Amino acid sequence: MSPATHLTRHIGRAATVAMVGSLTVTLAACGGGSSSGGGAESGGVAAVVKGLDNPFFQTMESGIKDQASTADVPVTVQAANSITDTTGQGDKLNGLAGQDFKCFIVNPITGTNLIQGVASLSAKNVPIINIDSPIDEEAAKSANAKIATYIGTDNNDAGAKAAAQMGTLLPQGGKVALIGGTAGDVTSAARLDGFTSAKPANVTIISTVAADWERQQALTKATDIMTANPDLAGFFVANDDMGLGVAQAIANKGKTGQIRVISVDGNKDAFDAVKAGGIDAVVAQYPYVIGAMGVEACQAAIAGKTLPASVEAPVQVVTKANVDAALASAPKPAEAYDNPFTELNK
Amino acid sequence: MPPATSPRTDVTHVARSDTGDPLWRKVIEPSNLANWAAPIALVVLAIVFQALNPTFLSLGNVESMLSAASILIVLAVGQTFVVATAGIDLSIASAMTFAAVIFGAVFQFGLIAAILAAIAAGLAVGLVNGLLIARGRITDFIVTLGTLSAASGMALIVADGKPKTIISAPLLKLSTGTVWIFGYAFLLAVVLALVAHVVLFHTRFGTYVLATGGNTEAASATGVSTARIKTAVYVISGLTAGLAAVLLVARVGAAEPASNTSFLLNSVAAVVLGGVSLFGGKATIVGPVIGALLLTALVNGLTLLGVSQFYQPLSVGIVVVLAAFLTRFQK
Repeated sequence: MSPATHLTRHIGRAATVAMVGSLTVTLAACGGGSSSGGGAESGGVAAVVKGLDNPFFQTMESGIKDQASTADVPVTVQAANSITDTTGQGDKLNGLAGQDFKCFIVNPITGTNLIQGVASLSAKNVPIINIDSPIDEEAAKSANAKIATYIGTDNNDAGAKAAAQMGTLLPQGGKVALIGGTAGDVTSAARLDGFTSAKPANVTIISTVAADWERQQALTKATDIMTANPDLAGFFVANDDMGLGVAQAIANKGKTGQIRVISVDGNKDAFDAVKAGGIDAVVAQYPYVIGAMGVEACQAAIAGKTLPASVEAPVQVVTKANVDAALASAPKPAEAYDNPFTELNK
Repeated sequence: MPPATSPRTDVTHVARSDTGDPLWRKVIEPSNLANWAAPIALVVLAIVFQALNPTFLSLGNVESMLSAASILIVLAVGQTFVVATAGIDLSIASAMTFAAVIFGAVFQFGLIAAILAAIAAGLAVGLVNGLLIARGRITDFIVTLGTLSAASGMALIVADGKPKTIISAPLLKLSTGTVWIFGYAFLLAVVLALVAHVVLFHTRFGTYVLATGGNTEAASATGVSTARIKTAVYVISGLTAGLAAVLLVARVGAAEPASNTSFLLNSVAAVVLGGVSLFGGKATIVGPVIGALLLTALVNGLTLLGVSQFYQPLSVGIVVVLAAFLTRFQK
């Protein structure tokens, strides 16, 4: 779940500040405040997403709003003040839960921070669509909360797709280095693990470093790794922003095209870099589709249809060969993907 | 300008040669050890890393370490002025992020305009800090904690949460051009450090800064406008944040509202490693510069050796706390 990417980045910030003084939580809450969405229209769909302070969730929000306006469903979107605002997000859901919405889309910051609101909605039999980050199953069970469906992407699979692509790029094999997000982060670990377990036998991982989801750190560490390993053949990078930093490091050494780079997310800048040749492949996840599918799932649930327990949002590999199509169709994927809700809503 | 007399300035010079003792004896003197903590640690690290991985001291690696350290050096110099007055600037990294985003917003009007705007943005954050602390009489800790949040919020607002790619040949030259093993960015940082050294030790202003940090009441009794000095040091810190923003944009080729928190911690750590007293009145510029090099070399060496990512933050923490421990023995 790529948003956790951003989650940890901001948690990293919070943790840093917490070292200085715990007052920050209050200050950050005062500083970031932006809940978006129209007025509280009852009878429609309510969505509570993570902080709109990064592109991933902004894209997700526009997916929700576009699908809602296409389907002519009134929608209210509320977002956490920031990606670390777990209690604030809970309060927002509780506030909406008291109103007369027919369906809820939730993207919890942690597995449990929305459990109270979700439980009270379940008690009223309001369908809940869980998108992107999963609600903890144990917690949902013990709170007696029912989740109608889960829509998200598999980060392990994204890593595996990158590994397969690395195999294509390096038919002779070679040494690769892995650049992760913050050390210990779940999303980063899932992407790196997916890569590690699916890599071809002739590709060896010689180093795994953490660059805290920051472009500058990725640049510095990639430079160091290239210095230590002059025969390095490729990098797998846990998100696009860091991928751009790695591409810059390679360009600085004049080795663009010789050392391969694959990153995960699917931002426009990364697509541009694929087109220009700095990045060789991007494993794209589609927050826009996740948001839109959430609304479609709500439409089906309101109509009383039975929803599949979980739906995989599309993950696609974008290379120079298909990058033009990817750029043209962004924020939607260029290739067709499974959407069980289209059938349900017919 | 001749240095004005102050009871505290004489202790600011790391190694004075007028006592006649051999240098090594002065180095191992516990009270001097704090001042020498960063250089000693740097040498020890270099020996250890070089023994474990011969690429560590290769010219290519030294060059990339120096380039990587340049942003931190610039920030550490700014932080030093603030810490010398017994203050702290927690907003320095956020001010840099804000200035970088402003750079991105103004870049369409030309490179020079963008650079000036970035520096002005950094100065503005510094001025707000300085006025609130000196005139508003609010604790530095709280003010800069507030601007930390406010500046990163402003950065997100201006950038709309999105990074902006900056393509500029002169900036690329700044980040990749070198004179032998010294990158232009590093040379810029060194020039800034030299200017800062002259300002701190060879001007009346520098003396006032140290006097304000050493004993605010005494300084103001002798006619130093401590409020003005305190405002000025935060403005200097903001200025370095603005310059660092230009280096940052040049380095990554983008203006982005990323948190960059590691720079905040590392700027304070570099200052402490450099033997600057957090209680004010006692500072050097060379110390924090070496502190910044040490922190960069530490992470570089661990990366070269392929040390697990989990051990890197631990080792940085240990080094910082050890250095802080040494400052207990300061005179």
